[in-house]
Amino acid sequence: MKGREEIIAKIKDSLGKKALSVFEAKPNRLYVSIGPENITGAVKLLFEELLGRYVILTGIDTPAGIEVLYHFSFDGADLVVTLKVLLDKENPEAESITPIIKGAEWIEREIHELLGVEFSGHPNMKRLILAEDWPAGVYPLRRSFNGKAE
Amino acid sequence: MNPGWALLQIFIFPGFLFTFAVAMIFAWVDRKVTARVQWRVGPPFLQPLYDLVKLLGKEVIVPAGGAKTLFLLAPLVGLAAATVASMLVWQANIWPESGFVGDLIVAVYLLTIPSLSVVLGGFASNNRLASLGASREMKMILSYELPFILCLVVPIINAGGAIRLGEMLAVESSPVHHISGILAFIVAILCMQAKLGLVPFDAAEAETELMSGPFVEYSGAPLAIFRLMRSMMLFVMPVFLVTMFWGGVGAGGGVLAVILGCLKIVLLLVVVILLRNTNPRVRIDQAVGFFWGPWVAGVGVVAVILALLGM
Amino acid sequence: MGLKLKALCKSPWIFHVNTGACNNCDIELVDALTPRFDVERFGVLLVGSIRHADVLVVTGGVTRQAGPRLKRLYEQAPKPRLVVACGTCACTKGIFHDGYHMVGPVDEIVPVDIYIPGCPPKPEAIIDGIVKLIRKVA
Repeated sequence: MKGREEIIAKIKDSLGKKALSVFEAKPNRLYVSIGPENITGAVKLLFEELLGRYVILTGIDTPAGIEVLYHFSFDGADLVVTLKVLLDKENPEAESITPIIKGAEWIEREIHELLGVEFSGHPNMKRLILAEDWPAGVYPLRRSFNGKAE
Repeated sequence: MNPGWALLQIFIFPGFLFTFAVAMIFAWVDRKVTARVQWRVGPPFLQPLYDLVKLLGKEVIVPAGGAKTLFLLAPLVGLAAATVASMLVWQANIWPESGFVGDLIVAVYLLTIPSLSVVLGGFASNNRLASLGASREMKMILSYELPFILCLVVPIINAGGAIRLGEMLAVESSPVHHISGILAFIVAILCMQAKLGLVPFDAAEAETELMSGPFVEYSGAPLAIFRLMRSMMLFVMPVFLVTMFWGGVGAGGGVLAVILGCLKIVLLLVVVILLRNTNPRVRIDQAVGFFWGPWVAGVGVVAVILALLGM
Repeated sequence: MGLKLKALCKSPWIFHVNTGACNNCDIELVDALTPRFDVERFGVLLVGSIRHADVLVVTGGVTRQAGPRLKRLYEQAPKPRLVVACGTCACTKGIFHDGYHMVGPVDEIVPVDIYIPGCPPKPEAIIDGIVKLIRKVA
């Protein structure tokens, strides 16, 4: 079990140049902003090399674009690391991490259904939580959604 | 015997009306004792009757694609069998000389038919859950009928090989006064619990798993008839067991003997209810393994051997 | 029908439908069926099959997915049947009033006989609602 300092140093080492910014909000809370082309590499680093525990994904519709957050927890070192990826508002595309982490399958389906993010390489992109007769192409959690299913 | 007398026996006493009335009382006793065991108050005395009348007033829905005639006939067949079985058993108790050789076998057959009618009804429902419940009920029948028949051999041996219900009451010492009889009686009580479809052996009708199993598609009058049939079985089975193993009702004459006999029946009913309330439900494979294993069928075989040896 | 409804009031068998509730009303409803409140005194039984049911107790504002299914369940229950809308969401969609996934409170899908407000309604309130329903119908 690596200590917190070690892990943070390793992350800054491997991702430092590729990351857009590294922000330590608290001693045990790290935010790393990366570009969408670096998702697979960063997830492999955190999940397979550093043995972090995958927690969940979050999708947000921000004024700058649609953001997807990847949360990983290092329980023994009391550290939570979040990767922030900003995607284009009109055409949000990202690589799917389901081939690496099987547990991410459903949350990627949910983010696709509610925010419209295309995850390339996802093995099973089927409808998950919206009703069967919900029209395709209408994403309820986008700020541009007008409240009706048109 | 003249037909008028026979009809009176079938429909009034000790046939349909008598069994119906006592079945309602026994159903109420079941629910009241269950409520008391759970520190509750329980339903009023006429509740089983209210349930029956309400169900008779509900719409009857026959599932599309099901076998309509079989669906509607199955409860009637079960009810008729339970009624005639009750009449036979009470006839042997009240007029022990009036039975015929082999009426014990007829009674045992009749007591199997209600479970079979449940299976028929379940398969006629065109519903996957009903079919699953009916197939489980079939497995249960296969499992408990063997030890049941085995332990019925013991009173037959005790009565010197006679297969007439009246003869069971004419023996000097009823089977419960012998070791073999006690063992057979205990096995018979367990088989009775399964025959009545009560916990711990109600895998066929598991409410939480199968949504009432074979009865899923039944509504209105057929459902009322099925429920009445089950209450009647709750009445007939203890009477049958008391007749076979414990000297019957009223044997020996006198009001005291009748009261004692009725107390024996009520005691068996209370044993059934308490078993029902203190046990979890067993899986179908566990139930089949239990009845075919050493604890039930094995004990039954031991009882038969002991009876043959005169103990 | 009058006599049938009167008989129904002596032995109302309930069937519980959750059309997208947050589960609080379901917890309170199941609580009302425990030995502490003993509704079997009134002949109330929880049944497992819709064909045995007299009273449909519906919790939850009806979601888009559950709407057609609630309608089918209502049609599967044999007549005479009653519907109870249990909880604020079932009565008026509650806090999900402007939700994009709600097709309306229960009475826009099936006719409702009694409304039990509360978020969630206490078991005492649920029993009070059933008693008022029985008084209204009988």
